[in-house]
Amino acid sequence: MTWKLFSLLLEASLMTIFVSAVSILLGLALGIVLSGMRMSGSRIAYAGAGVFISFFRGVPLLVQLLLIFNLLPVMGITLPSLATAIIGLSLCTAAYQAENLRGGFEGVPPGLVESAEMAGFSRVQSFVWIRTPIALRMTFPALVNEAILILKASSLVSVVGLIELTKMAQNLSASTYQPLPIFASAGVIYLAINLVVAAIGQRAEDALPGLPSK
Amino acid sequence: MTEPAIKVSHLSKQFGETQVLRDISMEVTPGTVSCLIGPSGSGKSTLLRCIAFLEQASSGSIHIEGAPLGFTDGPQRRRQSPAELRRVRSRIGMVFQQFNLWPHMTALGNVSIALRKVRGMARSEAEDRAMAQLDKVGLKERAHHYPAQLSGGQQQRVAIARALALDPTIMLFDEPTSALDPELTGEVLNVMRQLAAEGMTMVVVTHEIGFAASVGNRIAFLDGGRLLFHDAPETVFAAPREPRLEQFLDTYLDRGASMLK
Amino acid sequence: MSFDFAVILAKLPQILMGLGVTILIWVGGTLAAAVLGFAVATLRRFGGRAVDLALRVPIEILRGTPFLVQIFLLYFGGPYIGLRLDPWVAGLLGISIYGAAYYAEIFRAGFQSVPPGHVEAAECVGLSRKQIIATILLPEMALLVLPPSLNMAVILLKETALLSLITVPELTMTVQAIGSQQYAFVESLVILALVYWALVELANGLGRLAERNLSKLSA
Repeated sequence: MTWKLFSLLLEASLMTIFVSAVSILLGLALGIVLSGMRMSGSRIAYAGAGVFISFFRGVPLLVQLLLIFNLLPVMGITLPSLATAIIGLSLCTAAYQAENLRGGFEGVPPGLVESAEMAGFSRVQSFVWIRTPIALRMTFPALVNEAILILKASSLVSVVGLIELTKMAQNLSASTYQPLPIFASAGVIYLAINLVVAAIGQRAEDALPGLPSK
Repeated sequence: MTEPAIKVSHLSKQFGETQVLRDISMEVTPGTVSCLIGPSGSGKSTLLRCIAFLEQASSGSIHIEGAPLGFTDGPQRRRQSPAELRRVRSRIGMVFQQFNLWPHMTALGNVSIALRKVRGMARSEAEDRAMAQLDKVGLKERAHHYPAQLSGGQQQRVAIARALALDPTIMLFDEPTSALDPELTGEVLNVMRQLAAEGMTMVVVTHEIGFAASVGNRIAFLDGGRLLFHDAPETVFAAPREPRLEQFLDTYLDRGASMLK
Repeated sequence: MSFDFAVILAKLPQILMGLGVTILIWVGGTLAAAVLGFAVATLRRFGGRAVDLALRVPIEILRGTPFLVQIFLLYFGGPYIGLRLDPWVAGLLGISIYGAAYYAEIFRAGFQSVPPGHVEAAECVGLSRKQIIATILLPEMALLVLPPSLNMAVILLKETALLSLITVPELTMTVQAIGSQQYAFVESLVILALVYWALVELANGLGRLAERNLSKLSA
């Protein structure tokens, strides 16, 4: 194991971080939309969100990625592997984040929604400006946790042809016949990234303004 | 004869088997303060919440400055659309027992957000107006504090500023000092006194009998879901009193009722 | 675009074989993971500070790295230190060790939920450590530990799909192989997804049933 090999792994880990970060944010946005669909009062929207969440939580990410990778070209859509990877990870994390947010939305004290109603907010405005920020604040630790899960899950996007940390490790291990130190190094890098994310998450959690008192 | 600010007609409300409000009719004249008093469970908070249409009455109607609230008038009575409801309700400001400030915004954010998002004001204009309201309740210096960093009394004053910023003609107070430590009730009651002196139409659900007697133009006494009377304090508190009121006052001697004895 | 699911379904016996391997590895791996995790949590609880800290390190490593990297390390890296494993052995071992780290945390939280006074009281009346675990700790924490344990079991079910990447002939590998033989990738993957979805929902349903029954028992 040389510094040269390790630096290649480090470089590839930037792709891991990038793909994960973009997917987490897109997944968060979609997760909020799914939550809105579940609370909209429309039965169709509720059922649609329910099926989406159940499917993406019920099928292994590997199978989801392979399905998207093979299905899109059949539908006449050709996308670079980066886009395919981001779509796959975002859809999956959206389902989990919607489920996490559910607890947050349920925890918003009804009085805060009533005061928004009395201030003239429409249902949608109240969802956007009052309920969602409070639900996000309440479920922030779950969001950090989900970020770490997605960082680890991003190791699977090699199956759609994207070269990130795990794929780089596979390639290097195949060309150098040193799987042991190379996969171990990849593991160390994942661990380091996750420790940093957890630490940043903790700092952010402490800095955020207070939760609604009950 | 001017149009009443609030007109409640034959309002009844049931929760399942329990009858919470029984055929209540009352009018609130513009520029007056009506205090709703009564034992806990008498229905006074429910009545106030019905007036704001946060609670839907089982029967009867509410009119705000002549306009129906919640349901339309006439033979084809139907529920108002959200937009209609918001338009009538925009004349009402409400202050809650639990303050209900939004925890993710500063005091200034709480007071200015509706001006920006509902009234479509530019941020700077909205914040100027919000700052003026905070100044009025004596909290200009706390504008950039989050609710969790404020005392209960300060939070409630921010909540009053938040309601006033939207220029309501009627203010509803739902036990505004009940969640406060006794030493903090004074600052909130003083803001309310000032508001009453400026001629704001107010309906106040309260246990502060002293405040009701000194600030209220009308006292409404509820018992068991019935409105026993809605009259000037001089009349209500003058002897000989209604036996239920007498009994009620006895339990509230420490809240200023002793001066009426 | 036209789909032909018949060519895939014609291989039903093969698919069922793959499903059987998946379920065997899942159930076996989950049970092993739970037992191992419980043992680790017990050691951490009763083994003193040094043991507690020493066991924390591998748990953090296993929880902080992707399962895929772990099985690559085990399966491809193992032979370089004389650990030559059949794919399915590596898979079963991988699931067990990975799962054990999470179960250890679940049981640790469970132990912590039991008020120390209850254990002290049991010590005072002369119960042995084994008796304390069996009669005080386990029953008291069962209700708390059950939901995350079931949740983890479902996660492990989905993780078994990754074993296809180290050539374990489980469901994903089997169905993918059929798909490429028959040039029916999309069809094979749709069926694969539906089978997992059904399996996960079934497991979730059974889990909810178990939770209801347990809470009735302890009510």
